[in-house]
Amino acid sequence: MTDDTSLDPRDQDDLLAAEYVLGLLGPDDWRRAQERVAVDGDFAAKVQGWENRLAPLNEYFPEEPAPDLLDQIEARLFPPAPTPARRGWLWGAGLGTAIAAVLALVVFVAFPPAPPPAPTLQAELVDAERGLTLLVGVIPQEEAVIINATGPMPEAGSVYELWAIDEGGAPRSLGLLDEGETRLSGVVQPGETVAVSLEPAGGSPEPVPTGPVLATALLATP
Amino acid sequence: MAKGVETSAPLHKVYRTLTFVAVLPHPGKQASSMQDDIADLLERLSRQDRTALRVLYDRAAPKLVGLLMRMLSNRAEAEDALQDVFVKLWQRAATFDPEKGSGMSWICAIARNHALDRLRARKSRAAQQTDPLDDDIQITDPGPSAESTMLLRAQMQDVIRCFDELPPDRAQAVQAAYLKGQSYRELAEKHSVPLNTMRTWLRRALISLRECLDR
Repeated sequence: MTDDTSLDPRDQDDLLAAEYVLGLLGPDDWRRAQERVAVDGDFAAKVQGWENRLAPLNEYFPEEPAPDLLDQIEARLFPPAPTPARRGWLWGAGLGTAIAAVLALVVFVAFPPAPPPAPTLQAELVDAERGLTLLVGVIPQEEAVIINATGPMPEAGSVYELWAIDEGGAPRSLGLLDEGETRLSGVVQPGETVAVSLEPAGGSPEPVPTGPVLATALLATP
Repeated sequence: MAKGVETSAPLHKVYRTLTFVAVLPHPGKQASSMQDDIADLLERLSRQDRTALRVLYDRAAPKLVGLLMRMLSNRAEAEDALQDVFVKLWQRAATFDPEKGSGMSWICAIARNHALDRLRARKSRAAQQTDPLDDDIQITDPGPSAESTMLLRAQMQDVIRCFDELPPDRAQAVQAAYLKGQSYRELAEKHSVPLNTMRTWLRRALISLRECLDR
């Protein structure tokens, strides 16, 4: 879509943003533009510009009676018991850790040690669309945040970044995630929210997420 | 109020209806038009406020059903998509920035994007797909809605004026893309022109629109 030589080259990106917002692109170009929004802040800003310019057209979508689907939506967002954090934490730990836990239990029974530091705050971040689940545990005495990731890693040239959001809504980066388990250092308080965003390689160039936020969750005691 | 106008009519044909609504005595004070209740609800969603999700559903679901029905032309799929959209709103509420646009615009952008995703997936599976509702969809004046503020009415008139400056067939094509998610290929077929011609037309139309709207 960059073959129209009669156009100012500076316009190419902005027009691509317009074409993306309008839905003019075919499936492949659409997909490429969508991925670019996630990792290219300048392009995302151009997309936002067109969304704002064309937003008055939303008035042409009439309101229609909506069926009550709240129960289904809440069931997807807030899965019922067993408490998601604990169940997820064990499931996400994997077989190796499970064996280690059994061994630890044997050792514990034989020689009761000082209790190892366990997460005092946990959260489960789920992006159902991607099939990504992150189990986040906060260990305050070690100023550590441990993340267990299951699901696909980001496409080449991008990375998952973990954020803490304070009660005032201000985000701060905790760091970038690796495949499997990642240990980050940071202090996270009760009442804060954690979020994961998709960012360009190296992480967000801004002090806030620039890519899409894939999931957020409130930290809770296990 | 719900006077139907065919989609194929250029936007200026609905101008009179909209102007009529705009000059009606407006019940709200000017200050109330600055209030963005949807933005407040999104801010509560970002703090995991489940009650706010229920309030937002009551406020926004009718609009989103209308949007998704128009774009997907299928009630079952629209209702399925509605659930997906509310899941996304909950998960992404923390990224909403009220400085960058209104709450309802942000919600509609997420819903349109999701509908386009479904349309593109559908079209890449079944390469050829005609739109059965192509000539049925009507643009009707929605009347005062949650977002029908004086500010929005003013923006609406700008959009109508700027579309009016375009050749009518190109204005129609841009509207069909926005409201129904039609791609270059579908529009080229509908207007019986080569795809590259349609692309050149619309790119020029978009440049004119941008100049007019940013003026």
